[in-house]
Formats: sequence, structure tokens, C-alpha cells
Amino acid sequence: MDRIGKEINMWVVVLMGAVPLFFGTSAQGAIVGETGSTFHLMAKRDVIVTSDGDSFIMWGYAIRDAVTGKTGRAQYPGPTLIVTEDVPVTITLRNDLAPESGYVSIVFPGQEVTATGGLPGLLTREVQSAEILPGQGYEQVAYTFTPREPGTYIYRSGTRADLQVEMGLFGALIVRPAATPPGGDPAKKYAYNHVDSQYDQEYLYMMSEMDPRIHRQVEEKRWGSIDFTTYFPTNWFINGRNYPDLLAENNVPWLPTQPYNCQPRMHPGEKVLIRFIGAGRDIHPMHFHGNDFETIAVDGRLLSSGPGAGPDLAWRATTIKSMPGQTADLIWGWTGKELGWDIYGHSPDDPLEPYEYAPNHGKPFPVVLPPRDAVTYGAFYSGSPFLGGEGELPPGHGGLNANGGYFYMWHSHTEKELTSNDIWPGGLISFMIVEHPDVPID
Amino acid sequence: MMKRGTRYGSMMVLLALFVCLWVVTASADVHVQCPGDTNGDGISEDPNIVCRHITGGDGYTKMADGLDLYIFSFGDADGVPVERVIADRTLKAQMPAPTIVVKQGQELYLTMTNVGMVVRPDLFDPHTVHWHGFPNAAPIFDGLPEPSPSANMGNSFTYYYNAVVPGTYFYHCHVEAAEHMQMGMVGNLWVTPAQDGQSIGGFTKFAYNDGDGSTGYDVAYPLLLTGFDSFFHIASDTVQALPFAAMFDEYPMINGRGYPDTINPNNILNQEGFAAQITPTIITASTGQRILLRVCNISTTHQYSFATTLGVPMKVVARGAALLRGPDGKDTSMEVNVLNVGGGQDYDVILDTSGVAPGTYFLYTTDLANLSNGKQERGGIMTEIVINPL
Repeated sequence: MDRIGKEINMWVVVLMGAVPLFFGTSAQGAIVGETGSTFHLMAKRDVIVTSDGDSFIMWGYAIRDAVTGKTGRAQYPGPTLIVTEDVPVTITLRNDLAPESGYVSIVFPGQEVTATGGLPGLLTREVQSAEILPGQGYEQVAYTFTPREPGTYIYRSGTRADLQVEMGLFGALIVRPAATPPGGDPAKKYAYNHVDSQYDQEYLYMMSEMDPRIHRQVEEKRWGSIDFTTYFPTNWFINGRNYPDLLAENNVPWLPTQPYNCQPRMHPGEKVLIRFIGAGRDIHPMHFHGNDFETIAVDGRLLSSGPGAGPDLAWRATTIKSMPGQTADLIWGWTGKELGWDIYGHSPDDPLEPYEYAPNHGKPFPVVLPPRDAVTYGAFYSGSPFLGGEGELPPGHGGLNANGGYFYMWHSHTEKELTSNDIWPGGLISFMIVEHPDVPID
Repeated sequence: MMKRGTRYGSMMVLLALFVCLWVVTASADVHVQCPGDTNGDGISEDPNIVCRHITGGDGYTKMADGLDLYIFSFGDADGVPVERVIADRTLKAQMPAPTIVVKQGQELYLTMTNVGMVVRPDLFDPHTVHWHGFPNAAPIFDGLPEPSPSANMGNSFTYYYNAVVPGTYFYHCHVEAAEHMQMGMVGNLWVTPAQDGQSIGGFTKFAYNDGDGSTGYDVAYPLLLTGFDSFFHIASDTVQALPFAAMFDEYPMINGRGYPDTINPNNILNQEGFAAQITPTIITASTGQRILLRVCNISTTHQYSFATTLGVPMKVVARGAALLRGPDGKDTSMEVNVLNVGGGQDYDVILDTSGVAPGTYFLYTTDLANLSNGKQERGGIMTEIVINPL
């Protein structure tokens, strides 16, 4: 083939890569999951892939159709359950794991749960493998509770949790307020029953880690070798995926057991709600490039000095330690104010963009950027320093930022965790994209 | 294995060749941008403009047990004529990197020149400066290599910051961050508040614009906590595959020094005879004075907790360059005896020594395994607090 043909082919490949990455993810701004009040789950064995090209046996909660009895693939993490304050919730669980894997169960920290069916266990009622004594009424356990407080919660295995949570038996539980808070706008979204919890876009950050040796031992049924006293994770996940897999769309076919992505996007001036859940066993200090966040709630409770006071004890920072088992809700925003130059590259007579910091309107860019061969262009550089801008990109550059968005890394500052089993980059890297006001997100 | 000297010799030759080729092929360009500098000394005549020039490169730093470890870091190039920067400032990385201080409202033009890694001429790594915690940042000056240009070897990039939010920050290179930060590209960066110079509550120096003197201090010290994994550094030095998965810091340090080097008042010379460690870390005050500790943790593997033996609590007044006040101004500062600092976190801590008898006290990590320099015990994150009589 001649050279031009090859170049065209290359561009097709690049475009094919860029289109799903930055337009396919547009059903965003909301957390995807299972909405309702009754959920049927099945614990199943399946396989996940990691960004270093490896694959691992895992156990996950799958959605079960109670009518047909059919189950989906196991998920890492389990299905995100989205429920409503004060509406009773029922979750049934069955166990499709092999008998030697043991019983399974679910605990719901922060909820008052009634468990029925199955067999009594240490923390809650459990269910044994469906292969044992089938048809005798032991095959299902049901958990019921009425969520009294909106917020972000975790659910996870209550049985041999050191192993089962490592294997993937955990998920997110989101309780939405029953009504618009006093003084609120019914057209807007609120995380809690207070107007100061209003948000425009919402994203989940469910953190977990993995020690591959454990998964190999389970795969090879070397149960006696499993030793958590020497636990040493080398793979880290947000919503069950490593960077860069987490950039891809939700529910992509090549990640059938890892349905959830982590690709936050917003427009300047919007409020972004980040629901953090520490699902693993380690602390991850998550750092936000771009601006401060405000921590408004921990463990499903507003940081409030008293009823009705709202999040008046909220705290600002750019790094928060995601704690094992804990949840936290952050509000993040960005306008680019007081940078000392016009982020849109306007001339003084151009109209203002929404939320643009007017005193900087038309102020020139403050430095001369080095010539192209003096620098390396990152994959997400648009070729322009301006929001929504574009510029000449060198040959071979992927052109992955066609909208000229501003990319901010949101990542663990235990930087070792930005790898996947010795491979850089991977692990706990994600990017918030602040898009030009004209770029549609929804 | 070649002796180090021999190896350097050969590598210097390689580097010289490389730089020559680079100059020809890619027009290496050390270039400082400093508006208002009319005489070319790198200092702006405009008092509102601060110009700094740092290098990004490599060097060595001495651990408290005597081990020299290979590092990447930033070095000082303030006022160095541009044509001399590559020639004179290679292999002169500092640990920690040069401290940068600006006043609230000033504009900082920070030029970083990538002088290359002499010991690793096989590496083509760009370097960047990431001002950690800068509010409302734009990617072009955020130092994140993925959405911005980063300076290649032999070239400069000038970062611009309108420093409007006071506080305790730090900076680091963000290129292949797990590697470059483990290798040591970290430094202190502070913005002093507009309130400085006023007399409030008996103080004239403050960490923040508190309005009531609650962050006032007499003396301030950096407490940049980090650690090195010697195996990683030796692997880099000897051109081996880098052990990311096994990374585990066993040389915990304050300001690039493990105890007892923390109480050494002098610069520490590395094996090249270069003073790479110029941040003494002994904390000194007169009884009754308030000490401000500007704390951050930039370890790539560890969190650190610390306490003092002063017998007075540590008052935490700010976290993440934000005064500990609620959205409506409610005081949320806290008095603690132990403060845990995760990677990427920074805190401002006030030690009020009123009633503390003159003497020598200690600040030390309460994660006791970090009181070590490698296998040498009684080291790591510990220093003295010397309280002098009035």
C-alpha cells in the first residue's frame, strides 16, 4: 500500500479510538446502576482483566432475574444499587459459587437490616452454595431495610470478608433524598436534605486494590496457602477498572464483568458531586488537580453542627484520604478565576462565557510557549492553552482532546498506586475533563 | 561492574555527544522569561513579579547512614547566564528542590530548564513543575504532562502563576510521577498572606489571612516528609528495570534528611562533593514563641504520623492550603498530639511554646518503623526542637 493510504488508515484508527472515548461517554453526569427497591443478586465466579494485560478469577454479585431465574455476569464491583430515602428495600442473594468457596452474605453498614432465609452466620444470615442441598429452602437469603438517611453507602460481604471482599463481593449503595430540600429547586439535584448539597454532575469513585497472589491461590484451589498477613497489593481500581480502562464507556463489551467507568466531565461553574467509597483495605490519599473540593459529608451524614445547619463543618482541600469502608461526599467546582489571563483567549470585545471571571477578560496569555520540538506534547493536549482551543499537533499525536477540554488528573498521591503490577501508567489515575461551555455533556 | 568514576567518565562523554547532537537536531534552547528584568540578571525590576529559574535533572544525595542515592530533582539556576546552565548545572539536583516563596498577589514566572540526566543518558524524559494544590489551575501551567507540553532535555518551559491564595503548598515533577517523585523531584512552595506585616494579636507574620492572629507565628519551619526506596534508586542508577510493584520506602526523611542528619546545621555534601541537601531541619525557638510547621507528605508509598515531646498540643490551623474554617467561618481548627499526613496532604501546625521550659525536645514519627535509615535504627523522621531561654 502506498504511504498516503497508510496514513489514512492510521487516522481512521485514531478517530475510531477518539470517538467512543470522548463522545461515547456522553451519557454521563449521572451514576449508572440499578434503580428501584427490590434487587435479586447472585454471587458468581468470573474473570476480570487488568490494564497490565493480566486477568484474574474473581467473585462478584450478579443481577438475577427472579422471574426467569437467569443471571447476568458477575460484576466487579457489584451492581450500584440506587434507592430512595424511606422506601423499604429488599435484596435477595443466592450463591452460585463452588461449595469449597464457602457461604456468602451481604452487610449494609449504616442500615438497620432484617435478614431472613439462608442460614445463620457470624455477622448476618448467609447462603450456601446452590450445589449443596438444592431445593430445601436454603438457597436464598433476603435482606430488608428502610434507608432513613440519604447519602453514599457501601454494601459488601459479611462472610470471610478478608477473602471475599478481595475477590470482589462489594458494591455501592446510593440513597437519594425522598424530596427536594426546603428552599430547594425541584429542577435541581441534591445529595442530602439541604440546599447546600446541590450538584449538577455526579460521579462515583469506588476504590479497591488487589494482591494477585490471592486470586491465583483461589484459582488453583490452594486454600491453605492464602495468607492475608503478607497482603501486598500491586493492582488498584476505581469502580473496578484500572487506568486507562476506566476512560472507556460504561458497559463496553470488552469489559463484560467491569461495567462501570470513571470519566467525570463538567462545564465551568457547575457543581460536581463525587461519591467516594473505600471498598478495599488500604487508605488511598486521592488528590484533585485543578481546584479545591469541599467535603460535605462522611458515611452518609452531612458534616453539620446541628439539625438544619447544613454542611457548616465542611472542609476544603485538594487531597482526601479514602478510608477503608468509609464513604465521603465531595463537591468540586472550577471556573478558572483569578488566573491572571483569559482562559478562552478572548479579545476584549468578545462576549463573556458563562461563569467567566470578568476581570481577566481579554487579558493576554502571559508567556511564550516553547517551539514544538522543544517540548513533548501529552496525549490529552489539544495544541492550545485555551479552553476549547485547538492547535497544530505533531505527526503521531493521537488528537484525543478534540474538544479542547481542560484535563485534570484525579489520582492517588501514593503514586506507587498509579501502576498496574509494575506497569506505568495504570491503577488509580482518572481525569476530570472541564469542557468548553459549548461542548454538550448530556 | 565499572567503578563509579569510570562510569561517570563514559557517561559524561555520552552526554556531551548527546547534547551536541541535540543542539544540532532539536535546537536546544535555554530560555528564561522574566518580564521587567531590564538588566538580564533574572530578577524583575517590577516588585510584583518574582522570577525563579530551576533545573530538572539528576544528582546524588546522602542518606544519614552514609549511602549516596541517585536522584532526579530540581536544582537552582537563579541568575545563572542561560549559556552556562547546561554546562554548569547538570548533576546538581537538590533534595528537597529549591524552596519557592512568593507573596500573595505576586506573579511568579517559574522557568524550569531540563538539563538532562547525566547518569542516565539513555533516558529521554521530559520534566515538568506541578504546583500541588494551586486553585483554579489551567492545564498549561499545571505540570501534568498528559494535557500539556513538557520541556525536553536542553529546553526550558516558563510557568506562570498569579499567586492569589496564600498557604502551604509544594511542587513536584509530574512526568511518570511514580518514578520521578520516588526519585526525589519534590520541593517546598509557600504563598505568604497579604496580612503579613500588620500587627494582629501580637504577631506580624501569619500563615493565612485569619483576621484574628490565630495563625500568627514567630518562626516557621518546613516539614517536608518523604521517603526513598533505596532499591528503586539503585536500580535507576545501575540502569535496571524499575521495581514499581515492590516499591517501599525504607529511608523516611524530613526535608531530605534522616535523623541525625536532620539536626546537622550544615549543608550535606554528596559523593561528588556537591551540597545537594541544604535544608537544615533543627527547629529552634525561644520559650514563649509560636512555631509554624509547614507540613507536607510526598512519599510515593507511605503515610506518616508524627508527634512532639514538647508537652503542648499541635494546633492544626489549615489543611490543603485552606484555613480550617467552615463555609460560614466557623472555627474548625483542632488540637492534636499526633497528626497523620497522607501522600499529597499538607497541613499548617502551630506549636505554642508558652510555658515550655528551655531545653531540647523531639519531633518524631509515631509510625515507629519509620525511625530508621534503611536498616540503621534511631534515624528517619525525627528532629530536635530546641527551646532557648528568652
